[in-house]
Amino acid sequence: MKARRVEGLDPAAPLRADAARIVRTRLDELRAFAPVALQAPASKTQHDMRIAAKRLRYVLEIVGPCFGPEADAARDAARRLQSVLGEIHDCDLMLPRAWGIESLRVRLRERRERLFGEFVDLWRDSAPTWAALGRSLDRHTFSLLRGESRGD
Amino acid sequence: MARAREVPGFDCEEPFAVVAARVIEVRSAEVFAHADGVLDVDEVERLHDMRVATRRLRAALEVFDSCFPRKRHRSALKRVKALADALGERRDRDVAIGFLVGLEAETPEADRAGLAALTERLRGEQREANEALAPHVARKRLRKLRRRLRKLVKAAKK
Repeated sequence: MKARRVEGLDPAAPLRADAARIVRTRLDELRAFAPVALQAPASKTQHDMRIAAKRLRYVLEIVGPCFGPEADAARDAARRLQSVLGEIHDCDLMLPRAWGIESLRVRLRERRERLFGEFVDLWRDSAPTWAALGRSLDRHTFSLLRGESRGD
Repeated sequence: MARAREVPGFDCEEPFAVVAARVIEVRSAEVFAHADGVLDVDEVERLHDMRVATRRLRAALEVFDSCFPRKRHRSALKRVKALADALGERRDRDVAIGFLVGLEAETPEADRAGLAALTERLRGEQREANEALAPHVARKRLRKLRRRLRKLVKAAKK
């Protein structure tokens, strides 16, 4: 899955300004997958969402200090999402290879079902985290527009 | 999994390109610091650490792409992606083998031969993935990549 391009980045601008645009794009990208990914059989979209979570996590690992504790919480939530969606993907890849090993197939199906439940819970519980990150991005962008320094 | 190293002098008010140079410098060093012993299939965490370091470097190259000369950036990113892909192929097999080995004891007798055969197939794929990875982590190749990344950092500082 190709990442959405972030337009208008300026190498000479303060990191915080460009970083806010990148994080916003990656957050929107992640959220856009949710309606389909939250349906159990949507394995392709769940895989794409895992990649989107990974991109958000890594960008927050780099620029998180510019957006306060909200960014740390979002980075951790993205890491957990990436992890559970990764385990779901592992089940999806292993299942066709387990042909003829019935106990393994049963175990993989059960595991996938349990992981999918964890994913749904995690997504629901993360809603305030994404909202808080969005507000932090707005706050810092607004400060920059007003020409304030240090984003206070 | 190793935590990402802090970037010395990281400052949100500094120009994007200046931070880009600092971050790429640190993330590159992390990749090379984890290169020893990654072909050892009995110590799979070594490969995992290098893979994570490579993903962090790749992410940084993508985040800061607008700060580097286009051609030089594309060429460095292509090599980092190839390294990440080769590490990923090995890691996928390491994880799958670990999962199946963990199930051996509780697998019913009727399925044990099938499980053993699948594990053995995966071990074969793990060997192949290791062979494909070897040239990517050869000292000479890594030295070249390090030089390439240093030039990129230098260009961002200008």
